Amino acid sequence: MSAAPPPVVALVGRPNAGKSSLYNLLTGGHAKVGNFPGVTVDVLQADVGLPGGERLRCVDLPGVYTVVGAPDPESDEGYARRFLDDLQAKGAPHLVAQVLDATHLALGLKLTLELRGRGVPLAVVVTQHDVLERQGQAVDAAVLSAKLGVPVLTTSARDKGAAPKVLEFLGEAARHAKAPPTDALDAQAVATKALVTRAEGKAAAHAARRRTERLDAVLLHPVLGPVLFLGLMVLLFGAVFLVADPVTWAIDGALGALGKSLEAALGPGLFTSLLVDGVLGGAGTVLIFLPQIVVLTVVMELIDASGYLARGSFLVDRLLSVAGLGGRSFVPLLTAHACAVPAITSARIIRDPGQRLRTILVLPLMTCSARIPTFGLLIAAFFSGSSALARGALFVGLYFAGIASGLVASLVLGRTVKRTAHALPLVLELPPYRRPQARVMARLGWRAATRFVKDVGSVILVVAVILWALLTVPGPGHAEAKAAAPPGASEKVVALHGSVAAFVGRALEPLTRPAGFDWRMNIGLIASFGARELMVGTLGIIFGLEGDEEDPAPLAEKLREAQAPDGRKAYGVPTALALMAFFVIACQCMSTVAAVRRETRSWRWAGFLLAYTYGAAYLLAVLVYQGASRLG
Amino acid sequence: MKMSRMSRLPPSSLAALSPGQSATITALALSEREAGWLRAVGLGEGVGVTVLRRAPFGGPLHVRTGGGAELAVDRKLACHLTVAS
Repeated sequence: MSAAPPPVVALVGRPNAGKSSLYNLLTGGHAKVGNFPGVTVDVLQADVGLPGGERLRCVDLPGVYTVVGAPDPESDEGYARRFLDDLQAKGAPHLVAQVLDATHLALGLKLTLELRGRGVPLAVVVTQHDVLERQGQAVDAAVLSAKLGVPVLTTSARDKGAAPKVLEFLGEAARHAKAPPTDALDAQAVATKALVTRAEGKAAAHAARRRTERLDAVLLHPVLGPVLFLGLMVLLFGAVFLVADPVTWAIDGALGALGKSLEAALGPGLFTSLLVDGVLGGAGTVLIFLPQIVVLTVVMELIDASGYLARGSFLVDRLLSVAGLGGRSFVPLLTAHACAVPAITSARIIRDPGQRLRTILVLPLMTCSARIPTFGLLIAAFFSGSSALARGALFVGLYFAGIASGLVASLVLGRTVKRTAHALPLVLELPPYRRPQARVMARLGWRAATRFVKDVGSVILVVAVILWALLTVPGPGHAEAKAAAPPGASEKVVALHGSVAAFVGRALEPLTRPAGFDWRMNIGLIASFGARELMVGTLGIIFGLEGDEEDPAPLAEKLREAQAPDGRKAYGVPTALALMAFFVIACQCMSTVAAVRRETRSWRWAGFLLAYTYGAAYLLAVLVYQGASRLG
Repeated sequence: MKMSRMSRLPPSSLAALSPGQSATITALALSEREAGWLRAVGLGEGVGVTVLRRAPFGGPLHVRTGGGAELAVDRKLACHLTVAS
């Protein structure tokens, strides 16, 4: 009947020391692990049970270099420090467990000595000991513990069997928690005493360093480096398209067949329409983009875990600083290509407040995975005549259009949004290259897939059903609207033309006609205001209702063949390009707006983001449509 | 030839080192807050540094410290780190 919360074990350490790997090992949890300094950006926690039945509350804090001096409260270091200060002020039982990278012992011990000075119970877990051993060195835990006066354990977070040992160690340390001695020590001297070097290790250490050196000589080469970087980005975005495309359309075909057999089995009617048009057409159409999202997640993890992410920052720092951003902005910018929400949180690793704000405000312009369905659909519908390479190039081009628009926006914001007199310059660790772990990548890919399926199965499904209803229920003035339906149209199509949603969509036509969007597109744009992946689902429902019940075609084909009231084709390449342009820029994501509000602590910036992206998206869509129409 | 001439020059900055050159940081000409942070990162007085390369277009320096850590250091910031060979 113990109602008291378990003792808190706060994992503290320098960025990239291996905290998140250790946290994952202990909790079986899902802290995002990266080979980039400072990837942990939110405070993650999980309760874990010890063999004796006790429990510990493990907390994974963002990396800190120092716990003295005043950090910027909105930065990573600020968040970690605030957490430690609160913990100490509350007086609840807790233990600070420093995670110390064995390969940089003296640097880590500097932090240990600062932590000792805080007078809170402390234990040290020396990680990456396997790496150190391969270099022919070892840390003598007993010597280190005696010198520091705190418990010390050496381990390797990559060793799956290490978890019970570390848990037992932390449990023991938490049970006997007492303030450490505060006698003055020298970090370098302690490190020298605790490090045991074996003669034969020198060669191994040298070989390990040579490997990173050889890779850097190519990957950071003044000419080759940037070219390879650009190539890698093209490959990343191209892979999303080329690898996942066939799988996607296979699923699409299966969904179509399922819809057909459902209609055959149930016969025409409102319930069949709800299932086929609402559920399959709405939510199911979004689901087919699952492979792209998994590929993107896995490749991004590959870049991160290998150590290339930090190299990317090194290469693009200059380019980004011209646009008012910096090398540290690169991590959130790349992350945002999966999803802007975690990227906005990860902007905390940017030390300069002005750079951080500008980065946050342009992150939503990066092409996130929720845009993939719309882009994929438009390319399939209007560029099916082009070669796979050309379609892939267009897809990759859309990614670069997002990046370019982000740089331009930052440049403009740099002249208007200023928070600091002078920028804090880049200092960033370049960790050694590591072989990414297949286990971790598989887990991340699986998590991305399940999260996406959950989203589609919950929010998107509910919204799809509501949309189906709005597209079926008659709206004001439906009598004359029905008259606008194509002659000889089925009852379903006539009902669609007179529905509530059609009424709203038509009311917006004067505003959107210059961009080539008709009432059907407008309904999609309204539906996707909160979450852009709903665009494809909405179009799926509309064209499902409009479609031929006898012979349901894939959505892409329906879109291509869609008719305007005058009987001509409703959309062409100009409309597709305009819609793509709109989707590149517009922040159609309420989760992102909420994240911006949370990180900037102001509705002003969140509102500003919505206003500027929608304004620019509309203008660009009009420009693209008018330009493309004139060019034919 | 060039190396020996460089070494006789009065105190210069980290930014003045060419790739391959080593030196020791002697002073941080920065605000106390920034200097404190840099010391914690591992770029304090007495630390030996080797410039491995410079990023293109005036980008950051790739520096290795005596302890074996490798860092990207902004070139403007490197101007404020006084070094002696």
